Amino acid sequence: MNGPIPINIAVEDALTESLLFKLLNTLPNLYAPRTIYNRGGNGYLRRNVNGFNLAARGTPFLIGTDLDRYECPPRLIEDWLLQPKHHNLLLRVAVRQAEAWVLADKENFAAFLGIRPSMIREDVESIQDAKRELIQLAARSRRRVLREDICPPLHSTRRVGPNYNARLAAFIQQLWDPNAARQRAASLSRTIDRLLAFRPTWLRAGGT
Amino acid sequence: MTIKKLILRNWRNFQTVEVELEQRVFVAGPNASGKSNLLDVFAFLRDIAKAGGGLQKAVSERGGLSKLRCLAARRYPDVEVEVHVADNGTTWSYAIGIKQETRGYRLPLLAYERVMKGDETILTRPNDEDKADPLRLSQTHLEQINANAKFRDLVRFFESISYLHLVPQLLRHPEAFSGPGVPGDPFGKSFLEKVARTPEATRRSRLGRIEAALRIAVPQLKELKHTKDEAGIPHLEAVYEHWRPHGARQREDQFSDGTLRLLGLLWSLLEGDSLLLLEEPELSLNAGIVRKLPGLMYRLQRQKRRQIIISTHSPDLLSDPGIGGEEVLLLTPSNEGTHVALASSLSDVRDLLEGGLTIAEAALPKTVPPSVGQLDLFE
Repeated sequence: MNGPIPINIAVEDALTESLLFKLLNTLPNLYAPRTIYNRGGNGYLRRNVNGFNLAARGTPFLIGTDLDRYECPPRLIEDWLLQPKHHNLLLRVAVRQAEAWVLADKENFAAFLGIRPSMIREDVESIQDAKRELIQLAARSRRRVLREDICPPLHSTRRVGPNYNARLAAFIQQLWDPNAARQRAASLSRTIDRLLAFRPTWLRAGGT
Repeated sequence: MTIKKLILRNWRNFQTVEVELEQRVFVAGPNASGKSNLLDVFAFLRDIAKAGGGLQKAVSERGGLSKLRCLAARRYPDVEVEVHVADNGTTWSYAIGIKQETRGYRLPLLAYERVMKGDETILTRPNDEDKADPLRLSQTHLEQINANAKFRDLVRFFESISYLHLVPQLLRHPEAFSGPGVPGDPFGKSFLEKVARTPEATRRSRLGRIEAALRIAVPQLKELKHTKDEAGIPHLEAVYEHWRPHGARQREDQFSDGTLRLLGLLWSLLEGDSLLLLEEPELSLNAGIVRKLPGLMYRLQRQKRRQIIISTHSPDLLSDPGIGGEEVLLLTPSNEGTHVALASSLSDVRDLLEGGLTIAEAALPKTVPPSVGQLDLFE
């Protein structure tokens, strides 16, 4: 197979979608993203992962999810998949949340928020609730517009601010550097290595 | 009668289309991919066949042939439409090609017109008479009673195709939108007059069934009926229950958008037995109600054996597990016009369906424009 590998993406939230999309775009001419399956939530992904596993025989699938409460990625994969994982299914798990991959590029993210880089922890993968950590950092931003976009208002029921996804998507598209971030996030580093090494097997001639 | 197959060339967004159609068809695609234009093919055939219609009128109502022709059309400029219609074991096919007069009034002219019944050719034009008098090619035989006797059934079928895209504001305030109105009244401006023209017994039975269905969506609504005011203008009226023992009588100008749209939708499902074209029936309706629509349509169409073609953006509508991939047409725009495919013809959609995804989950993501992430950068 010559040329970029066509690949479908399935994710549980907009942030993971932005991250994976950026990753695929930074790898030189390796992948051609096709359809993005994102109907929101971990439950959606988990319910449909076996369908994606089946469809991967036609077009490779890259799935991005958060580790959350599982102790390690292999446990999650074992728990989710009923059938053996197809070679073309790339199930990548962010430890513990996709927000950790954002924080891992601490120089750029600190510059984006207007805070000191030293305020961001080094060991991003051991943060239990990376989303909360990210929001608390944003709350200390010197730029009011970022605080209002990313942080939920006091006494609100929502966990994130009204423009959380779009703000972070813009950061990821424009400033986030996966090569800097992989130094602090081993799960991201493994994902990049896997994407570089992956060659699909084609069951049907020409795929889809 | 049921349209089994649709073949298009250079029609609006579509350079070439060849798809099989089921009894119920859902058309899904991104914005401006041509969902309404695909539905419009059937309305176009109706406009040719109906009394007072004809090819010239149907084309000029659509802004002339240059607006009908696909922008991607190049060396082969003719617009072609072909449908295969099944009727109790007989298969009809009707095909026309339309080109533009090269000089003079630049009228749309028939490149050809063909009617087949089974393997038998009923009509094929241009014939000798057309060659002797080329102006004859500005009219189809579909629109001429003295020429279409051999395929009158097909003409009747085309004539009775109906299209609905009810706009509640038009129904509520028809006086604010003066002018001649749109032929066939697809937007419901004279919906109340249509209800008024229906024979009393039929009207009462339909309104009764509609009320029963409406009550599921709007539990406070009851006693839906048709009335006339002092000036003789028709209205729909219902009792809206509240804390007072007798409730309050309300007329259609007080009904909600959702109530009106559901009312129009149910009315048109109950009316007639020919092909019904529905434009985004999910609009203004609660997601829970939208999820029930495919089943409701199926039950109502089963009694009449009528075909329904529905354009939609709604994941709720398509989450019904009773919808098959062979019932969903996916539209994908490209520089060479919009591509149309049955969801079941795509191997990855089939695999996803087999893996337990609903048609909404398996097929709708394919209709999201690839650059949608750019919207996040929009300020």
